Amino acid sequence: MVNEERIKLMTKMAVYEAGEGKKDKAITGYFRSDYISLQILKSIVSATVSFVILFALYIFYDFEIFMKDIYKMDMFQFTRLVLILYLVFTGVFVLITYVVYAIRYNKAKGKIKKFFGNLKRMSVFYYH
Amino acid sequence: MAGLLEAKEYIKNFYSKYEIYIKPVLKFLLALISFILINSMMGYMQAISGFAIPLMAALFCSFLPWSVAVLFAAGFMLAHFYALALECAVVALAVFLLIFLLYFRFTPKDGLVVLLLPLLFGLRIPYLIPVALGLLASPVSMISCTCGVIVYYLMKFASDNMTLLTGVNAENTSQRFRLMIDGLMDNKAMMITIISFAITILVVYMIRRMSMDHAWTIAIIAGILTNAVILLVGELIFDLHLSILGILLGSLISGCLAKVVQFLSLNLDYSRTERVQFEDDDYYYYVKAVPKIVMAPQEKRVKKIHTQRKTTTAAPKQPTTIKTSNGVSRTRIVEQDEEETWDSI
Repeated sequence: MVNEERIKLMTKMAVYEAGEGKKDKAITGYFRSDYISLQILKSIVSATVSFVILFALYIFYDFEIFMKDIYKMDMFQFTRLVLILYLVFTGVFVLITYVVYAIRYNKAKGKIKKFFGNLKRMSVFYYH
Repeated sequence: MAGLLEAKEYIKNFYSKYEIYIKPVLKFLLALISFILINSMMGYMQAISGFAIPLMAALFCSFLPWSVAVLFAAGFMLAHFYALALECAVVALAVFLLIFLLYFRFTPKDGLVVLLLPLLFGLRIPYLIPVALGLLASPVSMISCTCGVIVYYLMKFASDNMTLLTGVNAENTSQRFRLMIDGLMDNKAMMITIISFAITILVVYMIRRMSMDHAWTIAIIAGILTNAVILLVGELIFDLHLSILGILLGSLISGCLAKVVQFLSLNLDYSRTERVQFEDDDYYYYVKAVPKIVMAPQEKRVKKIHTQRKTTTAAPKQPTTIKTSNGVSRTRIVEQDEEETWDSI
C-alpha cells in the first residue's frame, strides 16, 4: 500500500536534491575555512582587476596632465597612496566576501543537515 | 475576484504543466525585445542592426541561462559603442567589467534585473522594478537595480550625444574619453534615479514586512509615491529634463502592474485573520496568522446520460393495471421495446 507521508517526503527530498541540493553539496564538500579561503582568493583577483580598471580610468581621464606632471611628482608618495588605496579597496571587498560566504556556508550546512535528517526518517519508514 | 483567483490558479497550473516549453519561449521573447531595444536606441553598427542577428542571438539565449542573455546584451551594446567611438567602447567595457567582477560574482541571477530595467525604461515604466524588488527580494537588490540604471544611462548618454562624441574633437581621444566619463559621473538624472530607486526598494521592503493588514498594498502605494516625489523634487531642484506627466503616468501604470505582481505572488484573506498567544520555556509568542486565499479552478465535466439501449431480445410483455375514472380496473399489455436513446451534456 502507498504510504502518503513517505511519498511526500521523498518528493520534497528529490526536488531539493535536483535543485538547490546540488549547490549545497558542492559547498559543504569543502571545510568551512577552505571554502571561504577559496572565495576570498577569487575576490582578491576580482578586486585587483577592478582596481586596475578604475586606476586606468583615472589615469586616462586626465592623461595629458598626468603625463605633464609625472616628472614633477613624488613617485614614492604616489605609489604609496595607490598601494594604500588598493589595500583598502581589496580589504573592504574581502570583508564583504567573508561575511557573504560564511552565511552561505552555514545556510548550506543547515540545509544538508536537514536533508540527512529526512533521509534517516525515510529509512525508518522502510524498516518499520 | 473569484474569477481572477480562478484564472490565477489556471495560469499556475498551466505554467507548471508546460514549464518546459514556456520558459524558453519567455527567455526568447525577453532577449529578442532587449536586443531590438538596444539596436533601436543605439544602432551605430549596421551589421547587427537588422532583425536576423538579434533573432539568432535570442534563439541561442532561449536554451541557456539568463546570464548568457545578459552577456549577449552587453556584447550588443559594446559593438554599438565601438562603432560610435573606440573610447566609448573602452569606458562601457570598463563599466561592464566592474559590474560583473564586483557584484555579479556574488549573485549571477540578478543579471535579469540589469536586462529588464533598460527594457522598462524604454516602455516608460521603470518604476515597476524597484517596487517589485521591494516586494519579492531583499534590500541587497538595490545594487542590481543601480547597475541596471547605470547601464541604461550609459546607452542614453551615447544616443543623446552621438554628434558630440563623433563630431567635435574627433581627433582628440582623451577629450572623448573624458566626455564619456563625465557623462556618466556628472549625470544628475542618473544619480537621482539611483537614489530614488534605492529608497523605494527600502521603503517597500520595510512596509511589506510590517505586521499590519494590507501591508503589501500599502507598501506598493508608499513605494510609488516615494519614487514619484523624489523624482519630482529632483526635477525641480536640478532641472533634470524629466517629463512630469511621464513620471506620474509611469508611476500609475507601474503601481497597477505591481498590484498584478502582488496578486500573482500573494493573496491574503484579512477577514479571517487569527491572533493567538502561547508560550514555551524561553519566549512568549504573539502570533498573527493570515490565511491565503486559494481557489481551485472549476473542473468542467462532460456528463453523458444513456438510457437503456434497445435490446434484441424483446422483454416479456407485462400486464399493467389501470384504474379508470369510474373505478373499474382494467388490465392491458404495454409494449416495452419503443424506448428512445439520447445523449445529454
